[in-house]
Amino acid sequence: MTFTPNFVGRKCLVLHRSGETVNVLTRQLSVIGMNVSAQWQALDLNLTPADVVLVDADAGWPGLLPWEFGSPHVPLIALLGSEAPSRIKWALDQGAGAIIPKPVAASAVYPALVMAFHAHASARRQAEEITILEERLRLRPLVTAAINQMMGEANIDEAAAHRRLRQEAMQTQQTLEHVAAALLARGKGRAAV
Amino acid sequence: MNKLRLGVLFATQGAFGAPGRDARRGAELAIEHLREEGEVPFEIDLVCADPVGTPESYVEHARTLLEQGCRQIFGTVTSQARKDVIPAIEKHDGQLWYVCPYEGFEANENVIYTGACPNQHLLPLFDTLLPQYGKRVYLAGANYIWGWEMNRLAREIVIKAEGEIVGERCLPIEDTEVSRLVAHVERMRPDFILNNLIGPSSYAFLRAMKNLALRDEHFAPQNCPVVSCDLTECELNEIGLGVADGHLSTASYFDSLTTPENWAFKMRAPSALPQSSFFATSYASVRMCVEAAMHVGNDEPLQIRKALSEQTHSTVLGELRLDAATNHAGLPFHLGRIEGDGFSIIKSLPVIAADPYLSSPRPSLRTGGMPLLRVVS
Repeated sequence: MTFTPNFVGRKCLVLHRSGETVNVLTRQLSVIGMNVSAQWQALDLNLTPADVVLVDADAGWPGLLPWEFGSPHVPLIALLGSEAPSRIKWALDQGAGAIIPKPVAASAVYPALVMAFHAHASARRQAEEITILEERLRLRPLVTAAINQMMGEANIDEAAAHRRLRQEAMQTQQTLEHVAAALLARGKGRAAV
Repeated sequence: MNKLRLGVLFATQGAFGAPGRDARRGAELAIEHLREEGEVPFEIDLVCADPVGTPESYVEHARTLLEQGCRQIFGTVTSQARKDVIPAIEKHDGQLWYVCPYEGFEANENVIYTGACPNQHLLPLFDTLLPQYGKRVYLAGANYIWGWEMNRLAREIVIKAEGEIVGERCLPIEDTEVSRLVAHVERMRPDFILNNLIGPSSYAFLRAMKNLALRDEHFAPQNCPVVSCDLTECELNEIGLGVADGHLSTASYFDSLTTPENWAFKMRAPSALPQSSFFATSYASVRMCVEAAMHVGNDEPLQIRKALSEQTHSTVLGELRLDAATNHAGLPFHLGRIEGDGFSIIKSLPVIAADPYLSSPRPSLRTGGMPLLRVVS
């Protein structure tokens, strides 16, 4: 980690009943430079925008958080006193990227923030990559069809056809699938090679 | 309150024995002076504990002090020992006074930090050195929190200043086999070296750098200084007097300060030897604690903290005040050049408020995580 993680001015929402846990968290998050608010009701990010959410995983119920299974809209940290697997599972199901054990030790707060932001960013990145890969997988039959067409028309083997298609993709800076689709749309492989 | 019991918890032997001894002596002298002055309306009892050679026993000693009624404890030199004792301090609602420079990224409600954190030592140090000596920097450190974090932060500062880390080596803690490190430094020929080695390891490195400088003028201190953020007067003797002359260190106190507060302090200090920042900060911290206890009439941590943040305290380090949010003291910055058994001060800055999480914008870190844009032609 070359650059010091900086949370100054970020909005932090603590979903927890008021009390010592909220007091300790508010103090420590403020020291780190965050704007902290706390509530104990279902979260609506339109009403209470937040850059990170800390949620009571001991008492959190289904529907407390507004997102679908495991894909939080913002970094999520579980506040956990219980060791019961059902509560750990609840935290995982909500997509928590870090845990702060209760009672809260001041020294647990900053590391959890760094880990949760990191986990959220890498989950986002992976989800985007998976979407792209799924799209490419869906279009894979087009590549096979284009290669078959080129083999027939140019009288070349499969490896050579694949090579030409790749070359075209690199030159035009498109994916293999897009070049294959364009080639098939034009009807004739010869035009492209 | 009839009696105030203060705990002192420093290891006075071992790798960090020199700072530990100075910090303990500073605390003892503060009590001696307060007694002489005769203005404290209650008895002060100083209970000293010394985890000789067994760093893992810090926590037992802390617990014993707390059980003996010491709610205010001055102690620990290393971050590891501080982290070890904090849970016991919290459990007994006591208060730890940490008087040593450290790597930051901590702000515990039950700890008062009168030692400097990086925005009070490393950042102003690099603001001074990068324009003066150059931006090719070598990082030497101990395999330990201090070495790792200080090196990481130094790397961040240098990258943002468009400089270059030409080498980085970490040695096992207390390792004095420095020849490979020095050979690498010699090969890389940096503009200056940040020394985050600690104790005997650091002393061995400085001795080896002296020999290197005799062979190669590039490594003479005026050309390529070795700079530290924790090297003080109390260690110069262990390195060997004169050996590290010309190299640099930062501190919030040097014995050679010419302030009226320091003149007054030195007139009363019994030793002819120079005092270190460990000694002076510990002395100042004990006095601040007793003054706050006199003000509120008890040793309750919350009330002591409140009193400390509500007024400035005249100390040997200058006027100090505790920040109520972070529990860190604002501290002056001094850069000293080693000369014999002391330091000649070459730069001073007035009190800098502590920023343990580096959350304020500042020149050396201003660009955030964004790459720097350069005009290319």
